[in-house]
Amino acid sequence: MATLACLESALSSLRITNKPAASLPRITLRNASHQAQGRANKAKQGPGKRLGAKKTGGEYVIPGNIIFKQRGTLWFAGDNCFMGRDHTIHAGVPGYVRYYRDPARHPTRKFIGIVFQKDQSLPQPTHAARRRHLGLLAYQMPEPVVEAEIEEPLGSGLTSYQPPSAPRQPTTINLKPTTNNPQGLQLTLRPGYQYRQSNYEIGRSAERKEAAAQAKGKTTRAYNDYKPGDRFAAWRKSALRIARNNERKAMGRGNKGAKAKK
Amino acid sequence: MALDRSAGRLARCIKCTRHDRILPIRTFTTSAASRLEVQETQTSSDAPPPPATADAPKPKLRDPNTVSTRAAEQQLIQHQRITPVGSRRRRAAIASTSNIPFSELPYQCFQEARALLQADRKEKLEVIRAQRERIERLKAKDVAPQDEAHKEKRLVDMRRKLEEQKILADINDPVVKRKFEDGEGDLTKPIYRLLADRQWRSYRRTLLLQRITQMNVVPDVLPAIDSVISTTLSFAGKRVQHGDFVDSLMSEQAPIMQIQPYDKGKRLYTVVVVNPDVPNVEKDAFDYRCHFLASNIEISPIDTRVHLGRLSEESQVILPWLPAYGQKGAPYQRMSIFVLEQPKSDDPSSGSSHQTLDVAAVKETGRYTQRHGFNLRSFVDKHLLKPVGVDLFRTQWDEGTAAVMQRAGIIGWDVEFKRKRVEPLPYRRMDSVRYR
Repeated sequence: MATLACLESALSSLRITNKPAASLPRITLRNASHQAQGRANKAKQGPGKRLGAKKTGGEYVIPGNIIFKQRGTLWFAGDNCFMGRDHTIHAGVPGYVRYYRDPARHPTRKFIGIVFQKDQSLPQPTHAARRRHLGLLAYQMPEPVVEAEIEEPLGSGLTSYQPPSAPRQPTTINLKPTTNNPQGLQLTLRPGYQYRQSNYEIGRSAERKEAAAQAKGKTTRAYNDYKPGDRFAAWRKSALRIARNNERKAMGRGNKGAKAKK
Repeated sequence: MALDRSAGRLARCIKCTRHDRILPIRTFTTSAASRLEVQETQTSSDAPPPPATADAPKPKLRDPNTVSTRAAEQQLIQHQRITPVGSRRRRAAIASTSNIPFSELPYQCFQEARALLQADRKEKLEVIRAQRERIERLKAKDVAPQDEAHKEKRLVDMRRKLEEQKILADINDPVVKRKFEDGEGDLTKPIYRLLADRQWRSYRRTLLLQRITQMNVVPDVLPAIDSVISTTLSFAGKRVQHGDFVDSLMSEQAPIMQIQPYDKGKRLYTVVVVNPDVPNVEKDAFDYRCHFLASNIEISPIDTRVHLGRLSEESQVILPWLPAYGQKGAPYQRMSIFVLEQPKSDDPSSGSSHQTLDVAAVKETGRYTQRHGFNLRSFVDKHLLKPVGVDLFRTQWDEGTAAVMQRAGIIGWDVEFKRKRVEPLPYRRMDSVRYR
């Protein structure tokens, strides 16, 4: 009987039955509409972007005028022109547009530049002083910037350099020594109308307190025998710190509990 | 918790040494003297250590010749105020070995290589000796007048070959290399000059030329320049990098320049400071102005320092120092400094090898004594000068410029430049429908 059962189980996998077979593959689904619904040819069929030259060679332009709209850099910004974030070439100065090549600047690039007079051409001659445009007018300043104190110059001594602006006269507040600040605090008037210690004083306060404590033969450090790289000592140090913090919290909680009960 | 996190950061800040001490600048010929001086003064004036308790750790005294870890170096700098000597690798090697001189290190391959190099050096010295003799023989030889030029050319070539052999004799010497790197090289010797020139060209010259080209100093002031001389500039005791903005109060007094040539001999230079960015409203363009012009400045590879405010008024200075200034609203002014080599003197009987520029004659002629509209190209061509060095600093309007201009007697301290309004182009107005 047992052998028959074994045989039965062995043959059962080979038998063609009406049971649904787990090993038959799942039939894939196919949609009726075609993949051409996606992005195959649509990119070429959008509205035109009106690229190309907006100002031809020789036209008079003013700063900001668009000269050429392009995708990428077919043309580069040459003299007195600049390129916007989408590679549009703009005019930088008032003048006349020139389209040119400058092999000294780049062997194959094409440039768009601006000249100031109609008879000028680009590229500028090599090693010549550049043609430049000022574009400014001179005005009398309404109030003199500096009161005419004709002081003595700094003199020949090079070490007697003073910073340009006169130092502000600081207002200071001295606080009395407390348990947290045994040497007392000195607060000065800072920008923003705050009275506070300067950042470097805050940064150095721990060092100063430790130095003051050591001068008295004590220390503010909880764990003093720490050496960098000694992980066991670091663990002992942090365990000590955590224990102290927990103790402090427990004390605080006890007080609060007492108050709440009242 | 937050307190402990910030305590860590404070601890790191306390270790920071940037504000405690300024590193001494190492020049080519300075030895370790400055370091020793610092060591002596500091050891004498050290504050007594805090009272020794069980808690306070005592800082260990470190030797500047043997510190090799970053932490040890920091401790040396912070507590003892001494900078470590030489490179870290060298210090580690010294720390790990006994005090054997470099040439006696007991490595067979090293000693074999040393022997080979010494044999090669002997050969080169022999070649040098033979070449010197050949030069002497040729100089003593009488030639026909039509062959004089050929003889001179041969002498020039032979001297050039001699210089090459001198370099080749020393270039493989590790002691020479170490001395140069420690700043103890003697620039009267050709090998150290070559090493210094190579070091300058490897980075700082490239940087200088990049700045000069990008700031367009070269096509604007002079057509081209091949920089063979390195310059450093300092105003009011502070070093100025190429192209830096300099405060108007700092540039009120003439600067100090270090002009370092890399070929031998003393020669005479002319220093010019030209500003090519002077605004000219009538022309709607820019003019040139000369802020300083002086000639006959004697410079050699070991004598490089020149204070532009302390030159001789009669024989050297043509135009004294005018403070650099940029008027309000004008773009930044590029102050370009050119070092021009004066031509070699034709007659060998004169004292120096280079011609003196006749400063009195230049002042009398008057063409180059006008600051405004100074044409450096014309000056260089007229006096046959050769541009060999260039430097640059920039200036703009700041709080002290007006006072500087008043003290120097310059008109225009109360002038402000504002942008000219550009007339918009006339556009044809379309239908109102288009502007919805």
